[in-house]
Amino acid sequence: MAAGGAGGNSGRTYSFKVVLLGEGCVGKTSLVLRYCENKFNDKHITTLQASFLTKKLNITGKRVNLAIWDTAGQERFHALGPIYYRDSNGAVLVYDITDEDSFQKVKNWVKELRKMLGNEICLCIVGNKIDLDKDRHVSVEEAESYAESVGARHYHTSAKLNKGIEELFLDLCKRMMENAQAEERLKGNGASQSASSRRGVQIVDDEPQATPAGGCCSSG
Amino acid sequence: MMSQRRGIHLDQSELLCKKGCGFYGNNAWHGFCSKCWREENQREKQKQIQEDWALAERLQREEEEAYASRNQKAQSQPTITPFNKFEERKTKEKSSKVHTVTKFFIPSTKTPPRKDAASLDTQSSPSPSSSASRHSSVDSDHATREFIDFLKPLKSGREIFKQCRAFTETMVYKRDMAADELSECVQDFYQNLSDRLQTQFKGSSDHVESIMDEVEKYMMTRLYKEVFCPETTDDENKDLAIQKRIRDLHWVTIEMLCVPVDEEIPEVSDSVVKAITDVIEMDSKRVPKDKLACITRCSKHIFNAIKVSKKEAASADDFLPTLIYIVLKANPPRLHSNIQYITRFCNPSRLMTGEDGYYFTNLCCAVAFIEKLDGQSLNLSTEEFDLYMSGKASPHWPQTSGASSSSPGGTAFNQVHKRLDLLTGLGERQERVIEKARQLESDLIDWTDEVEQKVQSVLESFSPEAQNPAATAASGTTSAASSAIDSDNVENELLPPPLQPQVFAG
Repeated sequence: MAAGGAGGNSGRTYSFKVVLLGEGCVGKTSLVLRYCENKFNDKHITTLQASFLTKKLNITGKRVNLAIWDTAGQERFHALGPIYYRDSNGAVLVYDITDEDSFQKVKNWVKELRKMLGNEICLCIVGNKIDLDKDRHVSVEEAESYAESVGARHYHTSAKLNKGIEELFLDLCKRMMENAQAEERLKGNGASQSASSRRGVQIVDDEPQATPAGGCCSSG
Repeated sequence: MMSQRRGIHLDQSELLCKKGCGFYGNNAWHGFCSKCWREENQREKQKQIQEDWALAERLQREEEEAYASRNQKAQSQPTITPFNKFEERKTKEKSSKVHTVTKFFIPSTKTPPRKDAASLDTQSSPSPSSSASRHSSVDSDHATREFIDFLKPLKSGREIFKQCRAFTETMVYKRDMAADELSECVQDFYQNLSDRLQTQFKGSSDHVESIMDEVEKYMMTRLYKEVFCPETTDDENKDLAIQKRIRDLHWVTIEMLCVPVDEEIPEVSDSVVKAITDVIEMDSKRVPKDKLACITRCSKHIFNAIKVSKKEAASADDFLPTLIYIVLKANPPRLHSNIQYITRFCNPSRLMTGEDGYYFTNLCCAVAFIEKLDGQSLNLSTEEFDLYMSGKASPHWPQTSGASSSSPGGTAFNQVHKRLDLLTGLGERQERVIEKARQLESDLIDWTDEVEQKVQSVLESFSPEAQNPAATAASGTTSAASSAIDSDNVENELLPPPLQPQVFAG
């Protein structure tokens, strides 16, 4: 289900959904605005909103449509997380390197995501605001070793200085593509070798063949 | 002459109502009087309706039998027979229901002493329903025509249409299925069709998407009645529950939700109103895509409101609270049903990655938040929250001081009050102006009186000189007047002598 809509054929466009999670004020919005529109604290506001942004990429000759979903970071909306990250291919978990609490929040998110979505989802842990390195409260070693322990990658970024952001998303896209391809191969081996005919079945994979009605009506 | 002949031809009895009730009849009412015609007409209508029902039932039974036999032939599944039996029982139940409905109608027409209002009621009650069904059929006919027009230029158009129509027709018989299964069927169909379009007809993904949009539009316009808020679910109860919940939460303010919107700015309050209108409008659309478009428009207005208030692009941190606030203010009709309908029958790719999907997800979040809302999420203590919920207290009361009392309307009420204050101020000023004007008027009158008096007195004192030339000019004056002139002259002599210039030495 997670790779749904991804299509997956080498000639086709991948489309991925990525959620941005993290406490309020860690710079989620700045990060994504910088990435998609190359703007930071721009006084000339041309963009109406920074909560849903898309980016088209071309990675090793394959087209990728990236849809980035910002989420409300306030604590009171924490419980709504599952509605946001359902069906997403990747998650970017942002914390502020000057704020120990925000890193703690990231840990909570990781736990929740792994519990709900398993290993299907690509996790990126991002320490933002490295321009404020002198006020650092989360040590590099701690963050990186934690990321490794949960199977996530760790990145350092600065939306203000535009550092590390391109790399973060490019890396994430590559990993999501690998995931999608691996899943596809699994499907191909499992169901039928001629992987050309019935690819999209994976979307309704939840109900294993429970709907003969669907089959009969499309044929009749 | 003509009229005379006609008069001869007509008998008095011919003019009267055919029923012989003693009133005059009318050609337009087939010779009945208005009252008898209404009764007669209604009876005929009932008969017609019953016949139609009978026909519809018969057709449905035939079709179902055909469908069942086809199904059994197509795939000899053991599960299909009990299901069909179940369906038959359902139709039986339905037909019995129909009978009770007709029974309900018949006595009402037969009861002779009924008031006009009641008869009007029974008369009008069948017509709206029939017009509604006609309207819906017109709608779906329209959708069909549009769909055919859209498919015409495509080389695979005929096949697509055939498949869609066949599928839509089979769906009608499945209305007793659980909503999730219906959704499953439709989603399967979407998936299969789009797969086939991609592989068999080699369409580009954009092209396939546009075809799928039309397919969705056509199918959902036709199936709307069957699958929106179906009886098999408790969607309706949930709709009511949410509606009540939102009504109970009328006291929630912008400040509690930390909504970054300043409704004092006219453009912002305008956007807020538009957002509310759009989210309410969602219920009136039939196609999931159109419903989503309403949500998207609502969201765009919200973004505009945030942008104008905050002078920066809206992030999700701003957007979600504002959306919650809008939903609370709008209390959109059948919110739960609409969300379920979109989730079940919308093209999945749009919901998963598209922009519409994002806004829809946010709406789902807003609803989930409203459902679970407690004191903590509004930064209130539990006691306060309970008090507000029970209506024993309002967050507006403690803040109020004198004139600037505000109620659930919040800022709007504040504005109204400000304007009212302004108006009363203006009124007072006007009164003062009027008073001053009156005073001025009376002053003027007094002044003219005074002037008149003065003039009079001056005239009195100087009248001989003043009147003398006048008197001579009039040439008809009495002797008394002349004597008066003389007496004045005498008085003149009494006056002190004119001042002489004096020279002071030194």
